[in-house]
Amino acid sequence: MSHTLHRYGINEADLQDDYVVFAIAAQTVNAKGIHPQFREFEKIVMKYNPVNYGDMRTGNKFNVGMETVGSSYHDNSIVHAVFTDEATVTKVLKDLYEANLDLSIVVSGLTDHTAACCHGAGIAPHTVEHSMGIWGKTDRLPSEDVLRVSTMCGHGMLSFNLIKDLAQKVAKKRMTSQQAAEKLAGLCHCGVFNPVRAVRIIDKIAADINAGVEIK
Amino acid sequence: MLIDKTKCVNCGQCIPYCPMACIQKKDGIVQIDLDECVECEACRNARVCPRDALYMQKLEGTRILRSQFSNPLITHPKTGVPGRGTEEMKTNDVTGRFKRGRAGVCIELGRPGTGTRLKDVQTVAMAVAPYAKYGFEPHNPVTALMVDATGKLREDVLQEKTLSAIVEIEVDQKDIGAVLDAISKVQKDVDTVFSVDFAGRLERDESFPAKIVAQKAGYKLSPNGKTNVGLGKPLAKEE
Ligand code: SF4
Ligand code: SF4
Repeated sequence: MSHTLHRYGINEADLQDDYVVFAIAAQTVNAKGIHPQFREFEKIVMKYNPVNYGDMRTGNKFNVGMETVGSSYHDNSIVHAVFTDEATVTKVLKDLYEANLDLSIVVSGLTDHTAACCHGAGIAPHTVEHSMGIWGKTDRLPSEDVLRVSTMCGHGMLSFNLIKDLAQKVAKKRMTSQQAAEKLAGLCHCGVFNPVRAVRIIDKIAADINAGVEIK
Repeated sequence: MLIDKTKCVNCGQCIPYCPMACIQKKDGIVQIDLDECVECEACRNARVCPRDALYMQKLEGTRILRSQFSNPLITHPKTGVPGRGTEEMKTNDVTGRFKRGRAGVCIELGRPGTGTRLKDVQTVAMAVAPYAKYGFEPHNPVTALMVDATGKLREDVLQEKTLSAIVEIEVDQKDIGAVLDAISKVQKDVDTVFSVDFAGRLERDESFPAKIVAQKAGYKLSPNGKTNVGLGKPLAKEE
């Protein structure tokens, strides 16, 4: 599953603040007994203040809280940290390289920029996965802005209707875009949702609603 | 998912949380359309019901597939991986799963946010099967439902609906254009959306021949993707 892939952006600029760095072990090769290494991964990424953090097995900092995530790593954990700029990703990769954790490290984000981060950290990228976007009956999709938010949870836990509902509340000043983004972040269990990018997009949807634009 | 009607006050709080939009209010009564429900538990996990009225019924027969494919909190019995998919390229530095010259192609039906019937999954699987030179990914839960190498699925599962399901094949990188053509052609035959990607080991000069083949064939790649940066150990042996 490509739970951090297929994050929808209207252009490259829209994705420049959206990077997920995550750690995983191969269940058939090096997973047995590896769980303490996720704690080391946590120590490294936390130095750089990720905007989200979570483990697919446990939850994320917005729902179960950091203490719970950090106290229960498993050999089949997949642990994620979300960052909003390339310079930080480069520093994180450099530290991970020097730490020799044995875990596979994957970066989801603009591929050319990710390659530059790797080079900056002295690493040669190994394997790349390219998204080709959305095909098929695309008339069933909502507006691009709703997609931009929803696809930040690759497991599809953020319903289109909920995003529209929250944006309505923001438009009516019944909640802030920050509160809406944190609500959504709590529902994306793995912690790969980017609340900073979400605030930017929800503000745009709310402004459109207030300007009388119909949100599909 | 069911609603305990002795508890539910029809407040409608749970309605927007359903990714399949299958919780609806009719004549003042909130109901779940069980044919459309994929048993993902997003409604219950949101913990918004003031009466704790949402509950999982015991899933039986092929309906169990809905939950296995849709609820990311379940570790799939076939893959050992939490979430719906496989490790694919995430651990390629250690497993050597994708060798130079080959590419893994994933077609995730129902993503984003529309869900899919398994009959549509079969339609796509059968369309790409002739190009799957190295077969369907054996550890993928969709592959486990296939009856033969043509991509045909078990008859009894075809009407089941899931939040998403991934058809995963391995091909030679040089054939990627033909595979994408086959996927493009089958688009009109399914009643859902799907997300497409391909992955592979980079060459020593960090080029990726499959990317060049796809672009030459006229396909546009998204600017974002995933990169395994090669820090896993022990590194897989390569020829
Ligand atoms: S289990 Fe999932 S699909 Fe079913 S009603 Fe709840 S949110 Fe909707
Ligand atoms: S949130 Fe609970 S009480 Fe309200 S409609 Fe849904 S199931 Fe009923």
